[in-house]
Amino acid sequence: MAVYERIWRRYEGRLTPIGRRWSVVTRYALAEAFSSRIFTAFYVLCLLPTLIGIFLVYLSHNASLLENIGLTREFMGGLTDIFFQILFSWQAIPAFFVAVIVAPSLIAADLANNALPLYLSRPINRRDYVVGKLAVLAILLSPITWMGGLLVFVLQSYLEGGSWWRTNWRIGAAYLIGHVTWIVVISLLSVAISAWVRFKPAARGALFGIIFILAGFAQAVNFVTRSSIGDLVHLLRAIFNVVLWIFGQPLRNDLPIAASWLTLALTCALSLWLLHRKLRAHEVVE
Amino acid sequence: MIANAPATDAPVLELDGLAVRLGRRIILDSLSASFSGRAIGLLGPNGAGKTTLLRTLLGFYPPAAGGARVFGRDLARDGKPIRAEIGYMPESDAHIANITAVHFVRLMGELSGLPTAAALERAHEALFYVGLGEARYRKVGTFSTGMKQMVKLAQALVHGPRLLMLDEPTNGLDPPARKRMLELVRDLRDRGTSRILLSSHLLGDVESVCDEVLILKAGRIADSCDLEAERQANRSFVEVDLEAPSDEFERALATLGCEVASIEPGRLKLVMPDAVTVRDLWAAAAELGVGIRRLDLKRDSLQDIFLRAMEGNHGGV
Repeated sequence: MAVYERIWRRYEGRLTPIGRRWSVVTRYALAEAFSSRIFTAFYVLCLLPTLIGIFLVYLSHNASLLENIGLTREFMGGLTDIFFQILFSWQAIPAFFVAVIVAPSLIAADLANNALPLYLSRPINRRDYVVGKLAVLAILLSPITWMGGLLVFVLQSYLEGGSWWRTNWRIGAAYLIGHVTWIVVISLLSVAISAWVRFKPAARGALFGIIFILAGFAQAVNFVTRSSIGDLVHLLRAIFNVVLWIFGQPLRNDLPIAASWLTLALTCALSLWLLHRKLRAHEVVE
Repeated sequence: MIANAPATDAPVLELDGLAVRLGRRIILDSLSASFSGRAIGLLGPNGAGKTTLLRTLLGFYPPAAGGARVFGRDLARDGKPIRAEIGYMPESDAHIANITAVHFVRLMGELSGLPTAAALERAHEALFYVGLGEARYRKVGTFSTGMKQMVKLAQALVHGPRLLMLDEPTNGLDPPARKRMLELVRDLRDRGTSRILLSSHLLGDVESVCDEVLILKAGRIADSCDLEAERQANRSFVEVDLEAPSDEFERALATLGCEVASIEPGRLKLVMPDAVTVRDLWAAAAELGVGIRRLDLKRDSLQDIFLRAMEGNHGGV
């Protein structure tokens, strides 16, 4: 065991760049997330849709393997837009659950233990702190969403050869823009909820509530008004409309695509405002 | 980037008409002072604005008017560089959930700019220094109040700050722990590597650690003094209880050259010049036939300075 003297001295060594200190917040929060074996196992499972997608792309281009398992390339039917749309959904849903599991403890725990003055008395500010926390979700969600999706797209382009990627570039764009938009929206929303709801199960419930109860509310409004106006608060509809629009498919409602973008933009703006209101070293009671 | 050089000639803290408003309330009003001592005490009753001043220096609250400089750096322009030179120990319980003491202190060190390996090494050193060496792999949430105070001190000094801001560091400590905490703060002061800014409502804590004191009352400066200079002035203070009030005796003492103040009828407080001794006081009393019930020879304590400041007209409401 190392022996430490009970003395104190100044630090005279090198310091890390001040602009990168937010990454310390990210690194420690990631370590905290992966300290749970259950979460680690769940996260590995979240990679399954991508792995299955890669397997199916490989299988559809391997005639001998198809023959060995008694299938033909015609049976596979080729990999159409539908295949990529379904894969998108199967990547986005686990990403939502990862956010539900991780996000509530990102800020709520710091607020509950009065840790914000400790962070903000260091050479980082509130923006660095929020960026550090959001980066946790971005790092966790990227491999299971757009990175995985692009991997499948690149593999399909490579195996298909020719100009397949040129005629189907929308698939790659949909994976990149759709998933990144989803990550931004769900990360901001879940981190904002984490800042306001300190009890983790309640924060998880609130996130589910905002997504699914609002979706139900939107359906009810649509039914009563016989229009698509309720979809303005339907986050899932908004994100899938954006993806369908990039895929070049018809939208699922009568609203213009700008309405879906507006819904997502307003959700982000509201989340940022909530974070701005809540994240202070000390609350001021006026 | 290299850690900041040792203290330059710039004052530790300069306040220039600093005012802070929270909501509609004025919490700090027109504070102007300059301090260069090794340990500066912020003294005042609860609600005087001590903690608000510390938080303003950390950039938590924006000044409504005026400004402040820490080691010559302007608070409005150099928030991050100022905070890079500060180690802050907050008054209330504060920690990061679910991590051990050594991880907690290392995290704080890394946020202050220490590379990972250096932060880990210094986290161990800091925890041993404050006496938590054996408990460093325990989660901070399981610590007792005294241990939490010590781990807060460790996180404040892990990066070797030029200025240590300690907000009520002996809060909730039992007498042995309080003694240990004050010993540590004095040791840090005497090493000269960090200046200390200590906020407390306990006169004893401030008197035992600080050499300069800023006394706040209702958000204004009630008094400020150089305790070290007061200690070295070696003036003789005497408190006298008379059997009956005597104006003649007061006049006789003034004639001798003493500064006399009547605290209450029959009770005098006086400062004797070098040429006057206690024997001269007894002689004057005997000559006038005044009975002295009690005579205490003592130096002006921080308590006297504080009480004078609180009784004075300084400080607004």
